[in-house]
Amino acid sequence: MASSDETPGAMPPGDGSVPPGKPMTVGQYLVDKGAQITQSLKPIKKMSMHACSFAIYSHDMSRQIQTHHYISRLNQDFLQSAVYDSDESTARLIGVEYIVSEQIFNTLPPEEQRLWHSHGYEITSGMWVNPGVPEMIQKPELRELARSFGKFWCTWQIDRGDRVPLGAPALMVSPQGVNKGMVKAELIEKRDKKYEISSDELGRKREDIAVCEMINPHADYWMNAGKGFAIDVEPTQMESKPPFP
Amino acid sequence: MEGTHPEIPGHPTHTSTALLEKATATIQGFAPINQIHNHLCAFHFYAHDMTRQVEAHHFCAHQNEEFRQCLIYDRPDDDGRLIGLEYIVSETLFLTLPDEEKKLWHSHEFEVKSGVLFMPGVAGPIQRQDLEKVCKTYGKVIHFWQVDKGDTLPLGLPQVMMSLTRDGQLYDNLAHDVESRYNVSFAKERENRAYMKGPDNGIHPMANGGGQGLKTVLREVDCKPVESVPRIFV
Repeated sequence: MASSDETPGAMPPGDGSVPPGKPMTVGQYLVDKGAQITQSLKPIKKMSMHACSFAIYSHDMSRQIQTHHYISRLNQDFLQSAVYDSDESTARLIGVEYIVSEQIFNTLPPEEQRLWHSHGYEITSGMWVNPGVPEMIQKPELRELARSFGKFWCTWQIDRGDRVPLGAPALMVSPQGVNKGMVKAELIEKRDKKYEISSDELGRKREDIAVCEMINPHADYWMNAGKGFAIDVEPTQMESKPPFP
Repeated sequence: MEGTHPEIPGHPTHTSTALLEKATATIQGFAPINQIHNHLCAFHFYAHDMTRQVEAHHFCAHQNEEFRQCLIYDRPDDDGRLIGLEYIVSETLFLTLPDEEKKLWHSHEFEVKSGVLFMPGVAGPIQRQDLEKVCKTYGKVIHFWQVDKGDTLPLGLPQVMMSLTRDGQLYDNLAHDVESRYNVSFAKERENRAYMKGPDNGIHPMANGGGQGLKTVLREVDCKPVESVPRIFV
């Protein structure tokens, strides 16, 4: 019915905007502003970090995207992030990533671990950056992140041309220093230019950051198995509490 | 289903980490997040199992008049768990979706008109200005964390979720729990919202799973591009 690795059906081209739709009305804007003032929006205010990095589709590693994570911490071992395709106010929400410490990751069963990716290379290569934060301030956190594992579901495949979120969620994997895990130079250059940074230079500054001595063999599943994962949505018997539909 | 939820495994946040993150929160820009303008409370159930129902706190932003994107938490607190997301589109946009895609989306008419979907803390007349639009929209919800199962971590596959479409679906205890916590009355709101209308073309027959259950399945695929990834990595 719908698969993360299947090209979705056609949609009318519209004016090409992503997503399509009429501009916001003044009335809507006022209602929104009113709500924003009245309501406390606590989980949103808890977001404390913006990270810019890259991710790769598990089912097609030739497709690599720049990602913007807005992260909140629930405890020393667990972070949750909303992922967007840019850092601008017009950014599209493209998925969610969870990050856990090595300790927590090791408690997961193998079949679960296969859905997760390591962060060591991403951090030590300078690919993961926290725009605006001096490297020295960020260093202690980067040390921990370098030993963490992530699980990232992408729900909007904008790079494929989807103007609205179509299909099943896609599993993403992290950049690695080998093979198809290597992010294309032009993607990195473009990002670096925007933030006036050099990933290479950051990588050098991060040479003293230790990664996991031995990456759990189930993480980064593609590296050992040469396989990725796709998600299918299939019809099934609904366990029901009538009436449905 | 209860008001309490289990702790997430792990150590309490170190003071040094908390301080560092206080700093980053001040220094960095959060433009996409600053677009989030309201909090909506509603219920979802699993597209393959409507006996499993989850209270869902949506934090929503507009991309334009016809498209919203929402983060979903299990509770609207500092320690709320990010359990999923929802996209909401106008009827016009929904009708442009390929048919197979429509099945993954659900209608909002019943949720809104029944009073069950509401904006905590916002006065009725103001809420209703927005909700009369929401009434005509369709949503696509994916949950990543099955908190109702007692999972202390976001395990397993993403889950397509659906929304209430008729009376009798929502468990009474869940409804009463929310009503008492937020001091609202769904019945009263239902009266206030009687004037609202659903989609102009009626609820599309392919929405809400096309009337069927939906489940997600994991499939292994060859790494693409195949020739570039050795099967045995030395």
